[in-house]
Amino acid sequence: MYITGWTAALAAAGAVPAAFLHERTFAWLWVLGTVLLACLDALMAPRPTGMGVRRVVPKAVRLSESTTTVLEVANLGRRRARGAVRDAWQPSAGTRGERHRMSIAPGETARLRTPMTPTRRGDRAADLVTLRLEGPLRLAGRQRSVEAPGVLRVLPEFASRRHLPSRLARLREIDGQTAVQLKGAGSEFDSLRSYVIGDDVRAIDWRASARRADVLVKTYRPERDRRVMIVLDTSRLSAARVGDAPRLDASIEATLLLTALATKAGDRVQVSAFDRVERARALGTGGPAVMPALADALASVEPALVEPDWPAVARLVQNRMSQRALVVLLTTLDSSAVDGGILDAVAAIASKHAVVVASVDDPELAVLEAGREDVHDHYAAAAAARTALEQDAVATRVRELGADVVHATPDEIAPAVADRYLALKASGRL
Amino acid sequence: MTATAPLHRPPAREGAVRAARRRPLAIVAALLFLLMVAALVWTARPEDYTALSTGNSTPDGTRAVAQILRAQGVDVRQTDSMAGARIEDPARTTLVIADGAALAQYQLDTLADYPGDIALLRPTQATLDALGTGLRVGASLDTGVAAAQCDDVDALAAGSVAVLDQSLSAAQGSTATLCFQNGDGEHAYAVVEDGSRRITVLASWPTITNEHLDAHGHAALGLRMLGRHETVVWYVVDPFDPTSLTWDGATSNGSPPPTEVEARPDFLPPSAGPVAFVLALAVGVAAVWRGRRFGRLVKEPLPVEVRASEATRGRARLYRRAGASGRATAALRARTAMRIGHRLGVPRSADRASLVDAIARAAERDPRDVDAILYGPAPTSDAQMMTIVDQLDTLEREVHRP
Repeated sequence: MYITGWTAALAAAGAVPAAFLHERTFAWLWVLGTVLLACLDALMAPRPTGMGVRRVVPKAVRLSESTTTVLEVANLGRRRARGAVRDAWQPSAGTRGERHRMSIAPGETARLRTPMTPTRRGDRAADLVTLRLEGPLRLAGRQRSVEAPGVLRVLPEFASRRHLPSRLARLREIDGQTAVQLKGAGSEFDSLRSYVIGDDVRAIDWRASARRADVLVKTYRPERDRRVMIVLDTSRLSAARVGDAPRLDASIEATLLLTALATKAGDRVQVSAFDRVERARALGTGGPAVMPALADALASVEPALVEPDWPAVARLVQNRMSQRALVVLLTTLDSSAVDGGILDAVAAIASKHAVVVASVDDPELAVLEAGREDVHDHYAAAAAARTALEQDAVATRVRELGADVVHATPDEIAPAVADRYLALKASGRL
Repeated sequence: MTATAPLHRPPAREGAVRAARRRPLAIVAALLFLLMVAALVWTARPEDYTALSTGNSTPDGTRAVAQILRAQGVDVRQTDSMAGARIEDPARTTLVIADGAALAQYQLDTLADYPGDIALLRPTQATLDALGTGLRVGASLDTGVAAAQCDDVDALAAGSVAVLDQSLSAAQGSTATLCFQNGDGEHAYAVVEDGSRRITVLASWPTITNEHLDAHGHAALGLRMLGRHETVVWYVVDPFDPTSLTWDGATSNGSPPPTEVEARPDFLPPSAGPVAFVLALAVGVAAVWRGRRFGRLVKEPLPVEVRASEATRGRARLYRRAGASGRATAALRARTAMRIGHRLGVPRSADRASLVDAIARAAERDPRDVDAILYGPAPTSDAQMMTIVDQLDTLEREVHRP
């Protein structure tokens, strides 16, 4: 049961007769009468068991984008259902105006739309649907909550897709380098075509020209169908907040950009989110289905507060990748990572594959290191310098093992990883 | 997809009758509880703890004597305010002024003008003076039992009473009859015949309370003192009562007193009270209206998030607490050397001399200077550390200048 504002107003309206009657007993009687009337009204309200609800939830939405969820409320009873309904979602689903008025004739269904802009990645769950059915006097009514499950998957934002056009242009430039028909590392034979003035004479295929009575030049294209494996570290260090999001979110952005780029370049990408066990993976798909599948797989990945199992990562890569591939480890290069055995794992993987270790830097460290305000700041700068030195030492050791190291701030890690991929591709080290 | 999804419906609740049948004991207990609460509310009267009040049944109340007087056919009426006394016939009424604390002068004036009999219980000196009794009241030090020792009929009938708490003595020229003298020569009771009216004063007031009424001649004295007329108007002095005494014929023109004397100290209309009461109850109803939650609160599972720089900040605090200026400077020197070396393209494996040379060339400075800044002795104080850091910053700027 619930009461409406009319009940309170009616109770307050008793002040007018009370002003003439001067009686406290009257005040009691008036208010008690109002409450009794409200109870009676609630008894006369239609029963909530005569109502049915159904949620029509969109499958997925990208973070920071808006969508609309629909709540269908059916009146299965014999009386008109007047009142209100609340379509409750967890706060990070970002619903606006989840309370709706309703007035549904018997046998009819109302479709109530609730706009939502989720504020966090992952699966956002709906809570109960609460129905309020008013009595005929509108003083009070019956209230019941109904379980109506619904889940909205919030995909990663992929804010780094704004970097994609420029990187694709670079990719075409690498393609374009073959227009000068220079055979080089990272390119493979594509086709023969007629010589046009301006072509490099060194690219002329004399043997083919002899056969065709025309001057033909060889064209090359960048290598295709290479394998790329991206391992996302979802362990303890990925939970740390860098800027205003966890480190993992920056890694996910980098994964998405690299996957989009590599797929466009014709390479095959596998993604694995790993700490002590594999949390999510996307593999075996190619073409346009890759990105939605990957976004879906990464949507619900959350950092786990455990140490990463680096030997297991090495085994995972060796099992999945039979051919030489590019393995990108998106992790954190930290002195504690060395104790976890990252060096051995990198050494094991680098013996067979090209390895890029990408680490998300904390922009706060740079701020700390530049602080010169007072003696506190000096010590903070020293601590930041020490941390940077340690990270540099770890990076140096990783490089010595034959792996590439990329480190950048959260906003720049995605383009930095993409650029390193392009550089590797251009130099034919894939 | 929407057509196939099932409708979710609220489950039917168990009927009230069936629920009651399932738990009969709970229903009976609830009913008993309700009955008990109702009975308590019905029978409850506001408890009276005012000393000498006729409604007070505690040891210092006077409910017992009032009950006995009523049983004897005397109409005992207690009034909350002096204006509420509204004595119709002073000649047939005993006005009891109990616990005479803090009556204002104008109230004492009306009391002095009152023509009927007055009984003072626990009088103050101001009251005694205003009524012209010529008596002095003081603390009773000898609380023994005293005999009447006077020719007042009531006192003689009572025989002997204890002189408790307060006692009376006569001032010069007093016409009062003083009774029950104790060892200090002070008295418990006095009677003043003041023309047409009779003023009785009971200084030993505990004798009339519920606690002491049954001892010695207390009951006899009290009943005879108060039961002379068929009406007793009992007023326990209330310091917050601003009104003055009313009786028939009190006003100068001889008209009867107004039946309803509203002596409110405020200027609100008389209906303000009930209106405010209704509104207060309406606020309660509004609280129920706003307080009823529209469905439960929804939980948000929040991830653990720690600032990534927390470890570094912790290390900075450790440095500071330990005063590790040497160690801190070493870190900053190494970091600066690394950055400059990186910028100048000096290989990491390069030794100290070649790095210093390269930096000195780039900064156009004396190599010994550069060496002192980068590899000089460790500082021993915060001030030295800050100086070295300043030099490091200058050096780095000079290298980066072009």
